[in-house]
Amino acid sequence: MATATPHSPTGAPVDPPKLDYTPQAIPLPEPTPAEDRTRKHYLNHDTSLLGWIFTVDHKRIGLMYLVGVSLFFVAGAIAVGLVRTNLITPTGAILELDQYNKAFTAHGTIMLFLFLIPVIPGVLGNYLVPLMIGAKDMAFPKLNLASFYVWAFGALFFMYQLLVGGLDTGWTLYPPYSTKYSHTNVLYAGLGIFITGFSSILTGINIIATIHKMRCPGMTWGRLPLFVWAMYATSVIQLLGTPVLAVTVVMTAVEKLFGVGIFDPKLGGDPLLFQHMFWFYSHPAVYIMILPGMGVINEVLTCFSRKNIFGYAAVAWSSVGIAVVGFLVWGHHMFLAGQGYYLAMVFAFLTMLVAVPSAIKVFNWTATLYGGVISYQAPMIFAIGFIVLFTIGGLTGLFLGTMGTDIHLHDTYFVIAHFHYTMVGGMMFAWQAGLHFWWPKMTGRMYSDFWSRLAAIVMLVGFALTFLPQFVVGYMGMPRRYPNYPDEYQLYNVMSTAAAYIQGIGYAMPVFYLTASLFFGKRAGNNPYKATGLEWMVPSPPDAHNFPATPTVYFGPYEYGVPDGLSIVDKMNGHTNGVHTNGAAKQGVTSGS
Amino acid sequence: MVGPVAHHFNNMAQQQASVRLGMWLFLVTEVLFFGGAFCAYTVYRIWFPKDFEAGSAALNVGIASVNTFLLLASSLTITLAIRSCYESDRKGLMRNLLLTTVLGTLFLGLKAREYHIDYQEGLVPGVFGYLTPHAKEAYEKERAVNPTLPETPENAFNENLKYALSHSKVYKGKPGEDYEPYRVQLFFMFYYSMTGLHVLHMVVGLGLLVWQMVLTATGFFDYSARYVYIETMSLYWHFVDMVWMFLLPLLYLAGPHTATQAMEQFQMAIGLGGGH
Repeated sequence: MATATPHSPTGAPVDPPKLDYTPQAIPLPEPTPAEDRTRKHYLNHDTSLLGWIFTVDHKRIGLMYLVGVSLFFVAGAIAVGLVRTNLITPTGAILELDQYNKAFTAHGTIMLFLFLIPVIPGVLGNYLVPLMIGAKDMAFPKLNLASFYVWAFGALFFMYQLLVGGLDTGWTLYPPYSTKYSHTNVLYAGLGIFITGFSSILTGINIIATIHKMRCPGMTWGRLPLFVWAMYATSVIQLLGTPVLAVTVVMTAVEKLFGVGIFDPKLGGDPLLFQHMFWFYSHPAVYIMILPGMGVINEVLTCFSRKNIFGYAAVAWSSVGIAVVGFLVWGHHMFLAGQGYYLAMVFAFLTMLVAVPSAIKVFNWTATLYGGVISYQAPMIFAIGFIVLFTIGGLTGLFLGTMGTDIHLHDTYFVIAHFHYTMVGGMMFAWQAGLHFWWPKMTGRMYSDFWSRLAAIVMLVGFALTFLPQFVVGYMGMPRRYPNYPDEYQLYNVMSTAAAYIQGIGYAMPVFYLTASLFFGKRAGNNPYKATGLEWMVPSPPDAHNFPATPTVYFGPYEYGVPDGLSIVDKMNGHTNGVHTNGAAKQGVTSGS
Repeated sequence: MVGPVAHHFNNMAQQQASVRLGMWLFLVTEVLFFGGAFCAYTVYRIWFPKDFEAGSAALNVGIASVNTFLLLASSLTITLAIRSCYESDRKGLMRNLLLTTVLGTLFLGLKAREYHIDYQEGLVPGVFGYLTPHAKEAYEKERAVNPTLPETPENAFNENLKYALSHSKVYKGKPGEDYEPYRVQLFFMFYYSMTGLHVLHMVVGLGLLVWQMVLTATGFFDYSARYVYIETMSLYWHFVDMVWMFLLPLLYLAGPHTATQAMEQFQMAIGLGGGH
């Protein structure tokens, strides 16, 4: 595709300019404190309002996403606060029945479409992918800005829908709840899903094109940071899955607007078709949510254990494996919905299969930790939390993927707990790990070590106590989405609610200490964690164009050597890994080619 | 404007490769978008084969045939436009872009006429349906024979369809035996949504064509640097054509038609006599 020769206006072929392979000075020299105070970087080179509104700088767009998704996280959290508070008593403490339906639907739609799906691709993906591969920007900077505004526009429909009375179908929008029997704002929510989905597609296109075409000299596929591999796999899912959801939403809207029966058995349609098409997107969508998180974990674990990743290729390809097999398992959401028996067996088998690449990752992370020089700074606590919680979430997923046990557990709180262990315990912790890990790079300031560790522990404890009781109460038979329950379940629900408040405190804490770090935090310097990625080789915050000149890469992404040092620097000075490293690093397998 | 190579690319080759890849990736999402609709169509096509054939028999295959030729011709002209751009032939570029736009617009005009005819025949399922006078007459006759029927028909679309198919020169099926009118509504739902989505894509494509014509006319075009945009636009245009190449057999050719019928239908549609 890239081979077409450019032609001059006279038609004669022109040789493409040669790439510049001259070695660059990596890392860049650390600015002195005086320079650091007056330095122009991406945050202060143009501080006008228009400079932000029309920015095409991927770093600024990443920050805009950060503000947006954080606001919607708060909105989604308030909704679930209402739900959990209502569940304190068996008959419902504060909400009317329809209010309860609207509260859990608001929680689901906002958290999924406006937080979990855009959060890491939008914030960290935008911010880091060009930096990590040595590019000046994304391949399509204007498209990148457009995808933010498209997302914000779609989010407006969600907000409008909430303000004019909410939605009560659950986030899954199953007909006939969403078509025949719904008197709430399905169409606005559908528009919101359609438009935010468009944004998701545009981000995916941009990231794939960037990774393919914008890598700097020497940044081979085998040297890509694993976060970039994960973002690549995520983008593939966004590209292939989202349009199917879009067309499903279109058909639902057509059914609702024009009164035809695509999903109405009375008019010849079939509601199961909706479920097939919906889950064809929405099951892969949970991998859109978790894969970027897994990518973050690779970066954090290697840095804070001072070791190369164990099995680079296996971890990279397992991301792709999840993206591929993840498309073949959607039927496990419909074991009890009238799907064919043999089809269900195939889906059960494929569901077991998709657990394999996830397990490969977990084993490789554990092996990476083995023998490492581990330090427990906040990102590392979040990352360890991720591994533990995600493993529990993944293993309980096998209960649900097995047809026999699923009949008992289907649509109970066991499903809720499983899903939240992967999405909150997994993705939310990975997001926090990533945010804390790259916060000094984004802002140039260090946050409070004590408060960040405390917040990580509060979140961890609050999370575990919220959802462990839900496994139990779900196993006992409490169905999801019900506002009322028998008295004997009350103890578990009260525990769950109390711990949810603790979690809430935990999530509020970073707002304070991260904001405080902007004003009082000490300057981070280029590389506060002595990490190896290209993004750490430039000053914090980076310049508007990232690199003064296109860098050249000679090493794999995780060449950690001496504790608190960089083997990559030693290599630049002519030493090999063997000379300057400790025992731990010698056990690592050299990554890359 | 800061020269043909944008600030974040190293060179033109990189920029062109990125632009091409971006469009191919976008087309992948489009394939999946239409793929979802085709998938749903296929499910019901397999479940209700005879009903879908009846629905297809009620469509205007004459206009569809002419439209197919128009789109194929426009695919040729847009390819010639790339050629002109490649050879720095500005006049040729302008001419070919204009031809493509005209062919596309003709397609949309005929499509609008086709929707109009469908509406006149009352082939509109759902809440916007109405009973045509002919169908009403036929229903009254039927009711004279069978007085147990309600005064107004339960569903206007069903009566309109029965009337339309009973006057078809090619389709000989009987309602209730060979097809169930209410299932044909599903066929028409797919007909309107899929051709509607296709029309929407055509409109976007025409917008791009006009935009490129304006850029060419204002001399904004540096051919050697920007032909890649014509090329990617043509990729999109070809994709929209391809969708039509699938829609034609799935929707129009699913039922029985003859060439004579198609000819008559087209002549009638553009007001050249014939018809009943």
